[in-house]
Amino acid sequence: MRGRPKLFTSYEADAAILPTSLQRWMVGGFVALLFLMPFDIPFLTGPVPRAFPDSWPILGGRFTILGSIPILQDGIPFVRFLGDSSWLRPMTEVFILAIAALGLNLLAGFAGQVSLGHAFFMGAGACTAAVMGGELGGTRWGWGLPIWIWLPASGIVAAAIGIAVGPAAVRLRGLYLAILTLGLVFIGIHLSRVFPQIAGDTEAGRRFPEFDIKLWREETPLINISSEDTVTGFFGLNTFEVSTEQKTYLFALVMVVIMTFLAKNIGRSRTGRAFQAIRDRDIAAEVMGVNEVKYKLIAFGISSFFAGIAGAMAASFLGTIAGNQWSLALSVEFIAILLIGGAGTTSGVLMGTFFVIILPELVEQVTEWLAERESGITGAIADLLLTDGGGNDFGPISEPSVAPGWALNVFDWNVVIFGVLIVVFLIFEPLGLFGIWIRVRNYWKGWPFSY
Amino acid sequence: MTAVEERAITPSTGGGATTVASLAKDWAIRSPKHIAFREKSFGIWQEFSWADAWELIELSAHALLSLGVEVGDRVTIHSEDRPEWIIVDLATVAVRATTVGLYPTNPAAEVEYTLIDSGSVIHIAEDQEQVDKVFDCDPEKTSNVRSIVYLEPRGFANFDDERLIFWEKFLDLGREHREKNPGAVTERMASAQPDDVMTLVYTSGTTGPPKGAMLTNQNSLYAIEKVVSEVAAYPDGKAPNTKDQILTYLPLCHVAERIFSTWTMLAGGPTLNFAESIETVADNLREVQPTLFFAVPRIWERLHAGVMIRGADSSWFKARWLGVGLKAADFIGKAKVANGGNHTVASRVLHAIFYPILFRALQERVGLRHCRRASSGAAPIAPEVLQFFMGIGIEVYELYGMTENSAVATVNYPGRLKLGTVGEPYEDIGLRLDEETGEIQTKHPGVFAGYWGKPEKTAETFTDDGWLKTGDVGEWVDGTHVKIVDRMKDIIITSGGKNISPSEIENTLKASPFIKEAMVIGDGRKYLTALIAIELDVAGAWALRRNISYTTYRDLTEKPEIIELVQKSVDETNEKFARVEGIKKFAMIPKELDHEDGELTATQKLKRSAMLELFSDLVESMY
Repeated sequence: MRGRPKLFTSYEADAAILPTSLQRWMVGGFVALLFLMPFDIPFLTGPVPRAFPDSWPILGGRFTILGSIPILQDGIPFVRFLGDSSWLRPMTEVFILAIAALGLNLLAGFAGQVSLGHAFFMGAGACTAAVMGGELGGTRWGWGLPIWIWLPASGIVAAAIGIAVGPAAVRLRGLYLAILTLGLVFIGIHLSRVFPQIAGDTEAGRRFPEFDIKLWREETPLINISSEDTVTGFFGLNTFEVSTEQKTYLFALVMVVIMTFLAKNIGRSRTGRAFQAIRDRDIAAEVMGVNEVKYKLIAFGISSFFAGIAGAMAASFLGTIAGNQWSLALSVEFIAILLIGGAGTTSGVLMGTFFVIILPELVEQVTEWLAERESGITGAIADLLLTDGGGNDFGPISEPSVAPGWALNVFDWNVVIFGVLIVVFLIFEPLGLFGIWIRVRNYWKGWPFSY
Repeated sequence: MTAVEERAITPSTGGGATTVASLAKDWAIRSPKHIAFREKSFGIWQEFSWADAWELIELSAHALLSLGVEVGDRVTIHSEDRPEWIIVDLATVAVRATTVGLYPTNPAAEVEYTLIDSGSVIHIAEDQEQVDKVFDCDPEKTSNVRSIVYLEPRGFANFDDERLIFWEKFLDLGREHREKNPGAVTERMASAQPDDVMTLVYTSGTTGPPKGAMLTNQNSLYAIEKVVSEVAAYPDGKAPNTKDQILTYLPLCHVAERIFSTWTMLAGGPTLNFAESIETVADNLREVQPTLFFAVPRIWERLHAGVMIRGADSSWFKARWLGVGLKAADFIGKAKVANGGNHTVASRVLHAIFYPILFRALQERVGLRHCRRASSGAAPIAPEVLQFFMGIGIEVYELYGMTENSAVATVNYPGRLKLGTVGEPYEDIGLRLDEETGEIQTKHPGVFAGYWGKPEKTAETFTDDGWLKTGDVGEWVDGTHVKIVDRMKDIIITSGGKNISPSEIENTLKASPFIKEAMVIGDGRKYLTALIAIELDVAGAWALRRNISYTTYRDLTEKPEIIELVQKSVDETNEKFARVEGIKKFAMIPKELDHEDGELTATQKLKRSAMLELFSDLVESMY
């Protein structure tokens, strides 16, 4: 019913992902913005002009308010990534890791099974992709199959492995389960050494198949992601280049939209409710008729499927990955994503992934940008914060070129920031970024009351 | 919402008189897919289309026939508001029998009285609790009840009374009967007469036992024509239509809810949304956001108190924001009151500023953002409450009527609203004030056919020239609007010989969110005193915020801080009235007033004489 968001006349409406038209518009708009992001939008890149273009009616030639702020005259680091390829790669990374994080969220956030073996399942997916889609011949196995076979297959193989190790995992809970899944990671790294035919060289890895979408072993792919094409815009108004990075970004975006929808739907289905029942109290869930073994296996299977897909995509995206990269550190990164984003919430996990991947990039980029400043206010800030090895320089951040001294470099700072953030989130907002969002939303929802 | 497909049809009366049942059948033919009712069960508003509804009505009508219901027989319904109430009501009218509604709160003794007095043949009881009340009755005296239909099966496993029929079985009876006699209901409907008694409405009886007022088909159609369909009474000039939403929550046995729910639905096709219970009205309001809303003063007071309480509880910034907004609302309200309910330039500007930042959210929270006409009736309401709602952009039109004249008397028209009055008489109705006593008297086709089985009482209610005596004393304001002074028998004459109307003082007292009930006493006394009952939720929350701990209701009423709080309200009230009308002393009622204990009527009105007797020691202590 229009204008009555709380009047649910069916369970479908009650469980809708986006119940109100405002939400549909906002999410739709946001996704559209993400699709537009890799393309150059002229007025949002580079420094903010000090005056409006002369050709504009009325405003032409007048000073802009933003343009008179000194820091913005140098260019805006935050919006420059529209069309800037240096931001496209991290964003693509966000999308790919988000898929894996969504999988872990179903297992750990929904079903409450803490797993440190997520990297192992990603590795399993990557290896499947390498074997099925990799180059033929040589010392490496490779069947050269097209993407629409190897991408789903990598998910399915990972899921099969997940279900295979499931029975062992189902008998354990909490800390013991974490230790068991931790073991998987080391088994995985060991296997990658034993089978160089699959995983490639221990240090250098092997080449992974590309994203090109071919119908069947065609020479000319349907969508050729690895080449740079010229695309003719609508109605011949505009022609522009679409680079490999832009196409990879778009492909990853499409995938993340599909997988988010899938994860969200699993979460609100009977299966998802069974997961939550097991998480909240497994014995109570069994009393209510939830088959614990079955649903734990399903949780492992689905979570591994997501991890497999993400692993294949990550490997393909990076080109080469050594077997020992699927390590504990990666698994822990996913736990961090869940904690910071908000375990058990789909949108929280997306926010968490964005935050965890982009924050270090941002810190790095801002530091680099500051290091180039010589004068003015930004120069003064740079002097205050950065240590470039010169005499009277006491900034806490040292530039990468400077030898290790008392100041930490950018990478060390990133680690510190993360450590602090996780502690802060665990203490003050266990629901993560999603919890903050909920608080903000509830503040306005209750307006003008507090409840 | 999809547009409702309406077909042109010929009325389904089949040659008989138009009744509420034939109107229902019209809707089932005209737009079978349109939603007639919504009922919340298991968290979801389940929908009944008009085709579904008519099917159930027809089955129930056949079932009544198979149980041997004859023309003029009485069918009693004892249930909370739910679709079955209206289904049985309309089915009863379809077979030319008479519906008698009982208040869900009626105790066994009153159920017995009604069953005997009305001579009911079929009794519809909601659940085991209500059926138990029938079993508590004297079986000899209530032997006229042949069948008891129950709607909720829970708790009936050990009952083996042969009069009991479960609702589904009842419908099966109807199905069987329909197969054998397919045209029986249509035939009955075709023989309907305008003066068939369609319902007995038992008056709440503040004095003496309740009397069943007989309303005929013609009465109901007249009420629909005047109260429901008069376009001038709607601010946007549109009569109720299929896009409208109504929240049904007041007892359907009361004539007001019958008019504003059932009859409005039948007249224009709005969808009825049944509230889960009277306690959840505030939540259901927010969900349904009705477009047409009628409430009794008690509900308006509660909504008003809800805003005040939650406002006081909100965080610093929000409370400040609300404070400024409510000052603006106060200004707007006053400006509109002074201007017949219309905006002045200043109030319009203020409203435009505060609507997006506050009033819109406030209306949404109250549940009346989509409301296009709100009205209040059935008891006098404090003007302060109406002014508040007017200030935040919800005009509440007070209207006046009583069971005996099918609630057709006066209404406040948009743009000509006068606060403190009950409005102007409907066009072309007979309404006059008795020259001597000032009593309001009416004469029009809505006036009832008399009290059931009480010809001498009926005769008392009419003047010699055939006008209905309402028992309310009124006076003309500016020659157009009627102001109700009080119930004739409630007017206080002090020992000093001064005539005082207590209800005005009581309503001003009740405008305070802390005061639930107030009763002014002083008949034959030297000065006025009052018995005051506090609102437990509000006063309790207030006490908790100030770390005043209490155990029971009685304990709370004896806290000096609470007494001080009430004293403040009393002082404020006294300032607004003349000296002789000031309340010298007051006493706190030590218990929550209740229907079952005989302090309130089923419609939650004070039984004054009973109160005086019950709390005589309190009253005497004040003199």
